[in-house]
Amino acid sequence: MIARDRNWLLIFAVCVALAVVYPFIADGYQLTVIRDALIFGLFAASLDFFWGRTGILCFGHAAFFGIGGYIMALVTLNDAIPFASLLGIIGAVTGAALVAAIIGYFLFFGGIRGSYFTIVTLAMGVICQQAAVSWSSVTGGDSGLIGIPPIEFDVGGLHVDLSQDLPSYIFVSAIVAVAVLALWSISRGRWGTVLTAIQDNEVRAAALGHHAPLRLLVTFVVSAAIAGLAGALYVCMAGLVAPDLSGLLLSTEVIVWVAVGGRGTLLGPVLGAIFIQRAQQTISSFNPSLWPLLLGCVFVVIVFVLPDGILSIYARLKVLFKGRRRAQ
Amino acid sequence: MSDVLLQAENVGIRFGGLQALESLDLTVRDKELCCIIGPNGAGKSTFLNVLTGTLRPTSGSVRFLGHDIAGLPLHRIARLGIARKFQIPSVFPSLSVEDNLKVARWGAPAPVRPLAELLELVALGNCAATLAGELAHGQKQWLEIGMALAIEPRLLLLDEPTAGMTPQETLATAEMLLRLKGEFSIVAVEHDIRFVRALNCETLVLHQGRRLRSGPFHDIETDELVRDVYLGRR
Repeated sequence: MIARDRNWLLIFAVCVALAVVYPFIADGYQLTVIRDALIFGLFAASLDFFWGRTGILCFGHAAFFGIGGYIMALVTLNDAIPFASLLGIIGAVTGAALVAAIIGYFLFFGGIRGSYFTIVTLAMGVICQQAAVSWSSVTGGDSGLIGIPPIEFDVGGLHVDLSQDLPSYIFVSAIVAVAVLALWSISRGRWGTVLTAIQDNEVRAAALGHHAPLRLLVTFVVSAAIAGLAGALYVCMAGLVAPDLSGLLLSTEVIVWVAVGGRGTLLGPVLGAIFIQRAQQTISSFNPSLWPLLLGCVFVVIVFVLPDGILSIYARLKVLFKGRRRAQ
Repeated sequence: MSDVLLQAENVGIRFGGLQALESLDLTVRDKELCCIIGPNGAGKSTFLNVLTGTLRPTSGSVRFLGHDIAGLPLHRIARLGIARKFQIPSVFPSLSVEDNLKVARWGAPAPVRPLAELLELVALGNCAATLAGELAHGQKQWLEIGMALAIEPRLLLLDEPTAGMTPQETLATAEMLLRLKGEFSIVAVEHDIRFVRALNCETLVLHQGRRLRSGPFHDIETDELVRDVYLGRR
């Protein structure tokens, strides 16, 4: 096992340990805050799975989060549907994946890459938000849908009811941990290596027999499916769904979380999401309009000063000091 | 003839008003080594692009094992057994040497040659963990040959494999190819005459998009016309 993988697993283990210990020191409200932050962390990891390995930025990832959220809301609010929570999650994941598959097919097989892809997905996000606002008979329009019940299902004789703080925290933490670990194992192995090769030189990868558009498409679909899952979890925990959840602001925020946490690390974006939301709550309590301004500035600074995220500070300092020592 | 691997017949290509290639024929037999030479602008790279199916000829046909390959997607052509080394070294700079070869093997329908053997063949055994972006120019060229070998090709097409190499590296590359001769067919496009002399094989001389001469290199080298248009200019 190489050192990079060992370090990752170590940090992952520390995070899991912290998540296990946290309920013993936090009250119910703090648990729900971290729980919601973790859901957004999962969303950030889903974007990183695509952006981090392919180098192609999706600027409308909140569309998939919102699609997952709306499908979950519509399924669980309909009394006629049995096993609503489970079917809702499955529907949310499938729905987001399907939309990504259709849009992704035309983009990847049509040779759209780089900033063109970013622009098209930006438009996709705006369209999704607009659809959520305008299709008010289904989506509830601007005010969205409220009264979404908490997740509740039976598995093997065990009744799982996530209306309480602690069970919902445990459920979300477990899903995030499993999903991040799974995405990491996919992206460090053969799949991720070939994606890096495609990012380096797509024509060359194709000349070696790799079907680049298909590989990019599948990665995009998996990424969207996880975003849809995060959206479904979120609306059940929050109890409401609104057009903002597929909007441009959330699409921008998730990019910042990934950029701050460290693109391509999967774990960094989760931490980035938690810390930035924490900062957002603190700063918004002084002045609500200050936050978007600060968010923009942080993003610009990160892109210029620390393109590999805050986790790279240590590695950068190491290089800096090595260079100094050599110079002396 | 069953041992014909690649057959180009009457290939012509026109870019707007420019006739880049005109009525070219080339037959590559199984396990044969041959070279295409010619001065700059003779159409060597264009011809190679036609042979790999990346450029569709305006007239004539290119058949590989009986399939017409013009306009097939790149990954399909690779899976038929055609490997190509590009003129500019195009390795994957953010992957290690070993990962570069692995990516190449994974693309192959059935990789046979072990990774260690590949590393030895292209003289990169002691820098398997180095990032490909940090290799010296000549080593990048070798790594790319290694990647082309990894897909177990029936036919290896090399576009100026020795471009930018030192004379020693050029000769080492020629030796590398001579060692591989007999395992599969190799077509090399070159204008470094020392390299072609070292290979000493069937040679096609292009000039202004047409066939000027073809035959064993020994005959080509002594041909007066070839000397005039090509060797004489050096």
